[in-house]
Amino acid sequence: MESLSKAMEKSGVSGNDLDYLIVSTAFPQILMNQSDPARILAQELGLKDLKALRVEYGEASGSAALEVAKSLLEAGRARYVAVVGFEKLTEYPSDKANYAYSTLLDFEYEVVRNITPPSYAAIIMREFMKRRSISKEDIAAWSVNMHEKASTNPFAQLPFKITREKALSGVVISEPLTLYDAFPLGDGAASIILSDEEGLKRASAEPVEVKEITQAVGHPLYLREDLTFFEATSNAWRELSSRTGITIDENTAIQVHDAYSIYGLLALEALGIGEAGKLLTSLDEMPFLNVGGGLKARGHPVGATPLYAVAENYELMTSGFNGLKYDGEYSLVHSMTGPDLSAYLILLKRWK
Amino acid sequence: MKHSISQFWRKKDSYYFIKLTRCRKCGRVSFPGREVCPFCGSRDVETYTSRGRGRVVSYTVTYFRREGEEESMPRIIGLIELEEGVKVPGEIVDVEPSEIEEGIEVEAVLRRLSSDNPYGLIYYGLKFIPVLKK
Repeated sequence: MESLSKAMEKSGVSGNDLDYLIVSTAFPQILMNQSDPARILAQELGLKDLKALRVEYGEASGSAALEVAKSLLEAGRARYVAVVGFEKLTEYPSDKANYAYSTLLDFEYEVVRNITPPSYAAIIMREFMKRRSISKEDIAAWSVNMHEKASTNPFAQLPFKITREKALSGVVISEPLTLYDAFPLGDGAASIILSDEEGLKRASAEPVEVKEITQAVGHPLYLREDLTFFEATSNAWRELSSRTGITIDENTAIQVHDAYSIYGLLALEALGIGEAGKLLTSLDEMPFLNVGGGLKARGHPVGATPLYAVAENYELMTSGFNGLKYDGEYSLVHSMTGPDLSAYLILLKRWK
Repeated sequence: MKHSISQFWRKKDSYYFIKLTRCRKCGRVSFPGREVCPFCGSRDVETYTSRGRGRVVSYTVTYFRREGEEESMPRIIGLIELEEGVKVPGEIVDVEPSEIEEGIEVEAVLRRLSSDNPYGLIYYGLKFIPVLKK
């Protein structure tokens, strides 16, 4: 509620203006004993004259919610839409959150056989290190960079810097994956207000256009020839670039889904930014990459995560964020579920 | 992790066997057994049961614990390339974490997965063991 109130205040859009309230959250039935959270939130806000619904698409739920919002606006079915993402991962001991998180995999063929998401991340990291002669020390550069960015982000869950030695000292989650290679469990909420062009006339905040959204579904890890290639992300990017004709490079403001350091690297590679091993040595030259510290250090409250990323890029393109101003015309937000089981891309464009 | 008895019974073929799909159109074999080829989308497929033997192509020793897990950590989780030429994910048991390595031969065996409680129903499913240790 706090996050939505702030977004409404900033945008100048009131609760009575809203046509739709779209809630994005992945695990409320398991971790909050609550179904139909969109209706509950509408009731909490005292909003009756709007339509409320929930969107769930794993760790990319927030991106899917934005796509639904964009579609409603483009179809003329709404003038103002609020998208609210949240997750409460700390209501129970962490093993319950771990269980909920594991249900992202296929219950019948993976969960039942004790396969969990960090096991897959570990296997991918292991393959990556072996095939490309990259060490754990090299990969630690990712978490050092993300913590550096989070250290000045007021919304970060882990707002502190770490050294490479510290990054390498974490407890083992799933060999070779250790604590600082993985996102922290935490709660969070983020909200975005969208409107059609007509609705902007009454809005007080500087707008940014949600130019294009693409999505792709990938194969499960065991069906892949190359365990280190994120095909869904690559396909979503191919569609986005062919629809819009834009190009991106290391200077573009990009948010990638780095639930694990290795995922952030392979996502960048799939987006064509560069070879993952080489990127590890040039992260400091990419100030607009995961500008808030990524999932790794800003945090990953699942249903809210893509919305955090969009909000950070929005700020970056308007008033500035985390001490930075960005004058590029476009910025990109990538999100996905598990090891690229599905991928979403959201292209933001500076307003006219 | 607790299970539904009816779900477990209905899906027992998935839990007690490794079913594969062979596509008559593109010729590829895939896991699990399905009515459609995941690579070319053809419905001209046949499903059959794997012999359950293969070798470890990659693995991890994991300490990630979920609610309801009864066994002590760590577990060894691997990707196993079956003799039929497809990879399947699975837990590898009867081997110490220090002894596991890529390339070792393993075979699927029926093992206890979990139980409702110490006096309740026991659920079984497939895990892998090193062939030499049989």
